[in-house]
Amino acid sequence: MRDPRVWIVPILILVVGALVLYPLAFLITESFNIGDPQIFPPEEWGAGNYIQLFEEPRVIGNTLLVASIATVLAVVFGFIQAWILTRTQIPGRDRLERLMELPYYMTPLIGALAWGVLLGPKTGLVNQVWRSVGFSSDFFNIYSPQGIAWVMALFEGTVAFVMISAAMKSMDPSLEESSRVLGAGKLRTALRITLPMVAPGVLSATIFVFAEMLGSFAAAFVLGIPGRFYVVTTAIWESTLSYPPDYGHAAAMGLSLFGAMLITLGLARVIMRHGSYATITGKAFRPRPMDVGGLRYPLMGIAWGYIAVAVILPLAALTLTSFQRFATVIIPQMQFTLANYRTAFALGSLGPAFANSMILGVTVSSVAVPVIAVLAWIIYRTTMPGRMLMEYVVMIPAAVLWAWINIPIPLYGTLWLLGIAYFTVFLPLGLRTIAGVVSQVDKSLEECARVCGASWVYQMRTVTLPLLRPGLVAAWLLIFIASVRELGVSVFLMGPNSKVIAPSIVSSWLSASSELSAAMALLQTVMVFIAVAILFRVARQVTGTQA
Amino acid sequence: MTRIEVIDLVVRYGDTTAVDRVSFAIAPGELVTLLGPSGCGKTTTLRAIAGLETPYSGGIRLNGDLVWSAQPRRNIPAEKRGVSMVFQSYAIWPHMTVFENVAYGLRVRGVSNAEIRSNVARVLDMVQMGAFADRPSSALSGGQQQRVAVARAIAFSPTVVLFDEPLSNLDAKLRAEMRVELRELQRRLDITSLYVTHDQEEALAISDRVIVMNGGRIEQIGSPEDIYNRPVSRFVADFVGSANMIEGGVTTVNADGSVVFQTKAGSLIHAAAGQRDSTTLALRSSYIHLHPDEANAIAGTIHRRMFHGDFIQYVIDWPDGQLIVRRPPTELLEEGSAITVSFAPEYCVLL
Repeated sequence: MRDPRVWIVPILILVVGALVLYPLAFLITESFNIGDPQIFPPEEWGAGNYIQLFEEPRVIGNTLLVASIATVLAVVFGFIQAWILTRTQIPGRDRLERLMELPYYMTPLIGALAWGVLLGPKTGLVNQVWRSVGFSSDFFNIYSPQGIAWVMALFEGTVAFVMISAAMKSMDPSLEESSRVLGAGKLRTALRITLPMVAPGVLSATIFVFAEMLGSFAAAFVLGIPGRFYVVTTAIWESTLSYPPDYGHAAAMGLSLFGAMLITLGLARVIMRHGSYATITGKAFRPRPMDVGGLRYPLMGIAWGYIAVAVILPLAALTLTSFQRFATVIIPQMQFTLANYRTAFALGSLGPAFANSMILGVTVSSVAVPVIAVLAWIIYRTTMPGRMLMEYVVMIPAAVLWAWINIPIPLYGTLWLLGIAYFTVFLPLGLRTIAGVVSQVDKSLEECARVCGASWVYQMRTVTLPLLRPGLVAAWLLIFIASVRELGVSVFLMGPNSKVIAPSIVSSWLSASSELSAAMALLQTVMVFIAVAILFRVARQVTGTQA
Repeated sequence: MTRIEVIDLVVRYGDTTAVDRVSFAIAPGELVTLLGPSGCGKTTTLRAIAGLETPYSGGIRLNGDLVWSAQPRRNIPAEKRGVSMVFQSYAIWPHMTVFENVAYGLRVRGVSNAEIRSNVARVLDMVQMGAFADRPSSALSGGQQQRVAVARAIAFSPTVVLFDEPLSNLDAKLRAEMRVELRELQRRLDITSLYVTHDQEEALAISDRVIVMNGGRIEQIGSPEDIYNRPVSRFVADFVGSANMIEGGVTTVNADGSVVFQTKAGSLIHAAAGQRDSTTLALRSSYIHLHPDEANAIAGTIHRRMFHGDFIQYVIDWPDGQLIVRRPPTELLEEGSAITVSFAPEYCVLL
């Protein structure tokens, strides 16, 4: 019997390579097209699209402004939360730590809608109260660079919390203890030992978050478009969907953004590798939390405060809004109704949008998980030539995938196109998740099966796959969640017959009422949270069997 | 007939040579240990025999059959070699019960269910794990996992079992117990075993023969007594047991082969055998007396005394610096006392 690896591997490499490299090649060509943007391949070549970027520095300025504010906010929030939740003894720490994952699953889109409902000019619920107690202006206008940055920090910045608390957790507590034993007080230890140890982690988290904020779309879209405040991502959207579409300009912007993100991420990686003392061992220590005495309750309050603004308040605002005819918090004016939900389901395109999102979610994750599992196995378990190159290729897509917008095959406006695009965009996510699981499975477990006499196929079936199963289920759910909430790619590739949820919510927000959008947003959130609940159960099982 | 034969084996990782022209043969029923510091190539050699590493050149025979060779090109995959292995991490599959773990090798071989049940029960009893058959294997302690790993390795009656530092993850007390049990089991079932360890005490205690490796090469092959009493190199003398290295040169070679060795400080030491060009004399700490009752006797003082329980370690000041001496705990002498160290010529090994 021939080893099936001989043909599986090259086919996978070809398919995945084509999916990632094709759009990239298209983008590069298009960005040098200075002729008719509708004609492909281009008839006139030039760097005009790139030069144009600098003739209009407003968009770049906006992007840097919003990304900087959001990064600072996210890192400050992340640091405080990480410190409270990993290093202090506050009541209910474990529960809070689990709740910290929710803002990410809430998605920046839902977050932006909710904060729009709360702090929109004049009609925002908080601003209504503010005006009703006698003030003549708004408490705060969320349709502003600061507002956009606030939402991005809350809903996309949780990665800062994850990275900083990982750095804090991976620090050997005996390093601090030896400082205490040698006579240094709590404060001195914190300044001379703890801070220098976590500083590289914080720095790389900052850079990483900044890169992410540069490519952020949803918040700037929902809160920026009404005031015609554009960042790079929304400007790309504007130039591809305006008439006539300016693909060349969009491509140049997209590639510049991609380049900026790549450089920033590379920088973060270098810093992590060279500067980090804390994570060298890769061992998970259980840090001994500090006894903070009377400060316990104020600190707990701060931690819960974050959950309140990132989860509870937005969900409450959306819920309240979705059941009203006209959203208000002034009790005598409230008119409760189920009409929004009725409309949400009845609205011609919305039922199909939900169905399409479900179909895409299930299909994409079911196809992606086995493919990515084999890829991960090749990259991390074999010595095949070119496997490291694969790792980099697979990590490319995130920023450039809307390039599928202009493809020569008749897929445009179909679910197939969305499916292919999703698959490619989620490759990095899937690969990171599954690679984590693959590396957790001790290699000798597989080797032992071989030595016991099992063939490769038998070993895969009886040892490798059963051990990976919980991780694969988790990856499936993660990709499903990512598909259902996907906005950045869908908004470019959705056709009239292939509507999906997130862009539909946005168009309802921009063209119809906030009450209807709130109802739709809540429905999407419920879908995602159900998947998240299952995910958490699976994750618990994984840690249960491996402990 | 030999069970395992390794011929001029070379294993390379890129530019580094992990195993450098290693050759040895193991007879049926023998327990041979590969001993050496980490990175000496012992585990790589073992894994090459199992089929888990691809060598660069040389050959490997199992039961007379060529399973790997560079010329002619031949590479039997791990699962067809019929050897068995106990892994350092035990490699107990956490998603299976103890029974399923042990039965794996038998299932692969298509053995009938009734036979699997009786075989598994038999080997689990041998390792005193009979009561644990239906336990999920993730709930076992380290020592229990170790026993299951051994049971799994012997369940399908392999002719050769490879042990990759099987006891290194156990605490000292349990390790000493398991050492005895493993040796007992190996003798009883007459299993040909190749055993990798970096623990010299363990290697000496359980082996029929020991292969000392260093830097990818074999330093010495011999019985435990050979390795201990007649090390052939400074490395072996230093790595196995506790030895004093005394620098100097040979002044006289007598007709009977015995030699006189003059230390740097000028003391003369008689050795039973040795080469003219030797510059080092290795002397085991345990073979030195603190009374003038052996042929070589030199004055010294006790610098430090350390009580270890099973023995006392003395640091002696003598003309050539310091000498480590181990005596039974009954020989208790005060620090600072003047003594005479003495040792027999037979235990002076010239290198």
